[in-house]
Amino acid sequence: MKKSILLLVLAGIFYSCMKDLPTELAFENYTFSSIDEDGGNWKPVLVENGAAIEISAPSPVDSDSYQAELAELKEILSQASEADKQAVHRWTNNPVVRWNEIALELIAKYNLIPGPNEDGTYTLPNPANPAGPPAFPFAHPPYASRALAYLSVAQFDGMITAWHYKFTFDREAPYLVDESIPHEFAPNPLPSYPSDGAVVAAASVAVLKAMFPLEAEYLENLEQDHLQALMLSGEHVKSDVDAGVIIGKEIAAVALQRASSDGMKNAQTPKSVSDSLENAAFERFGWKWENLEVPRRPVGLTPLFGQVTMWNVPNVEATRPPVPPAPNSPEYLEDVRLLEEYAANRTVERRRIANFWQDGLGTYTPPGHWNDFANRFIVKYKLNTLRSARTLAYMNMAIMDAGISCWDAKYYYHYPRPIQLIEGFETIAGTPNFPSYTSGHSAFSAAGAEVLAYIFPQEANQVREWAEEAAISRVYGGIHWTFDAYVGTNQGINVAQYSIDKAKIDGAD
Amino acid sequence: MNLLNRKIMLENRKLIPLVFLCCFHLISIESNGQTPLDELMMPKQDLCILVNYEFGRFDQYWEGEVLRKNGTIATVQRRSALVMAAYGITDKLDMYLGLPFVQTNSTIPNGGKFAGTSGLQDLSTGFKYQILDKKTEKHQLSLLASAMFSVPASNYLSDYQPYSLGLKTPQFAWRILGHYQLLSGFYGRALAGYLWKGYTKAEREYYYNNGSYFTPWMDVPNSINFDLTAGKWFWQNSLRVEATLSTQNSVSGDDIRAYNAPQPTNKVDFMRLGGFAHYYFPKINGFGVLGYWNQVIEGRNMPEMSTWGLGVTYQFGIKN
Repeated sequence: MKKSILLLVLAGIFYSCMKDLPTELAFENYTFSSIDEDGGNWKPVLVENGAAIEISAPSPVDSDSYQAELAELKEILSQASEADKQAVHRWTNNPVVRWNEIALELIAKYNLIPGPNEDGTYTLPNPANPAGPPAFPFAHPPYASRALAYLSVAQFDGMITAWHYKFTFDREAPYLVDESIPHEFAPNPLPSYPSDGAVVAAASVAVLKAMFPLEAEYLENLEQDHLQALMLSGEHVKSDVDAGVIIGKEIAAVALQRASSDGMKNAQTPKSVSDSLENAAFERFGWKWENLEVPRRPVGLTPLFGQVTMWNVPNVEATRPPVPPAPNSPEYLEDVRLLEEYAANRTVERRRIANFWQDGLGTYTPPGHWNDFANRFIVKYKLNTLRSARTLAYMNMAIMDAGISCWDAKYYYHYPRPIQLIEGFETIAGTPNFPSYTSGHSAFSAAGAEVLAYIFPQEANQVREWAEEAAISRVYGGIHWTFDAYVGTNQGINVAQYSIDKAKIDGAD
Repeated sequence: MNLLNRKIMLENRKLIPLVFLCCFHLISIESNGQTPLDELMMPKQDLCILVNYEFGRFDQYWEGEVLRKNGTIATVQRRSALVMAAYGITDKLDMYLGLPFVQTNSTIPNGGKFAGTSGLQDLSTGFKYQILDKKTEKHQLSLLASAMFSVPASNYLSDYQPYSLGLKTPQFAWRILGHYQLLSGFYGRALAGYLWKGYTKAEREYYYNNGSYFTPWMDVPNSINFDLTAGKWFWQNSLRVEATLSTQNSVSGDDIRAYNAPQPTNKVDFMRLGGFAHYYFPKINGFGVLGYWNQVIEGRNMPEMSTWGLGVTYQFGIKN
């Protein structure tokens, strides 16, 4: 008891003078750089158009029912605590960013590779028994790319739907109808029905609950907190929020319907299928990748992720890169020399680059890193919620497509990692449980960078530079060949073009 | 050593001999360098140099509270060479300066194929002050306080565990120590310390610590440390032998996640048993040798580390 008191006192003294570390992107609500009145006419990804999901017409602001809602809102406002008001500002008026951050957090939480059992076997996460152990899911980069793609696509289609009805019904926000209601946010002339924030919340919760089933309660609590904040902002009455929730739930159901049949459930194959892929590559090329962990993992990560339904590429094989240099060919030997040189001279700069882009186990993965960048640009360029969702939707579709294309190459070519072919070779990054060629980091990053360069042309040089650095970081880390990186980068650029071509004709430009 | 000092030293040896011996009872764990932690005080203007070699190894560690093996890292080995100096500013105030070179690696074969690392760890400096020193014919009681400070001495990476050389953060250690000794040479010692550890900078801009952190800065948990020691002087006070039970409890921090690498934000707790001996050559003036062995016997987010060390000490006076 005494010890714990001492402990508390000392902890208090030493922590009171420390500043808090950021647990989210720091930004205040802002005035959007555009309102996009025609956003309801943009082409959604999953549904036909902005009117495909139906909601009823709202009651006019002079109706009794609306006046009753206003009275209810004032009652809620009068009872709001200081913490409730802080929540309004924490969610901000761009909750697309906040829900994306929630997804990143869950990815990092679940990005843990199952360890071996006592007897040297491995148990894989099982969606039928999510509690495990091991817990479901293992949110590895392909899983993360897919979770983010469905999340962002559902948000985007939901936003188009919201915009459609906002400018169809054109109902004023409560703070404009009644001057006694304070407005917590910077002014943006957006009609209030339905609440775009509620669409984002409901769609995000539904998608993330399916992707992270153990987090249902956590997500529902966040949703309630957010929906209340939407009303406390002064921008919405309850019927605005309710209509947004309806749209969010419906579009999430459409997204999850696609997810249920996209082939992901077959991506992690049994050993027999994995062995046949390995043998096919060995017969074709004379080499095969092997897992070198202790104890050895019998199956690589998601051997059939390459067959998952792509978003915007009609045929994965059309994006398959050429055959990599054969072991002991001059080009290969030059790479061995280079890797050995990097290993012998681990400069401060190479180590920094290897670590900065590692995004390994326990982190938000490379797709997550590009979402982090996208969020910063969204805030920097003051995008509205619709354009934010569009940015993330096209970027995450491109990233997932790049991952699928990359995985197709990985298991088609089944190329060994440096630690398998170079005797005694050691790395400063963890060697992943899948074949080397091409580099996932390179493909994910190039795809992310290309879409960001399209949306934010001012940042094009910067993001492409980052993508190239992310690619070479894997060589510095000792876990990839340079041709994995260069070819992977080109593959990502190529795959992303399909998404960009589609974005260019969706009505937003 | 000047004549006067030598004379005083010889005289004092007969009475309370321990005050003037060079003292380096070391704490050496993976994370917080080496720190002098005993009751011995240097005479004014005496300087003592320690050169020490240490070898540590573990093949199991506590992931949270579960002890496990990990084929990815197999057995991790850790070698360090330390040079340390102690100086008597007054008879009641000593100053310390120390710098270790550390090298780490996994044994081969291992499943991870990670490269080990090596380099200078942390430069530490600090003071020890004798608050109280009560001597009677039958026993001696002393009370001391120390404040140590360390800063990273090279650009090593703390976020490369379990191979990191150290925590790569400034550290303050405040300690208070009581020592009770009988004429027979038996003694007991108790020590309490608070270790403040600052932030360490990782080479990434995102990490998970029971939630997202969008920063390279990691908060390294502070800790409360206790030691209990029992020992005895032998052979006209030329040899001391002692056993110590040490504990550390971090006041915050997260657990290592399942089959995941440790990180500097972890709550690192341990209980460790150690033996230590220091022999002062009676006929070779100023020279001594020391040896020690430590075994972590209980822990949380801590390697089950076994360590032994050997060192040579040389003490001499500095002329005015």
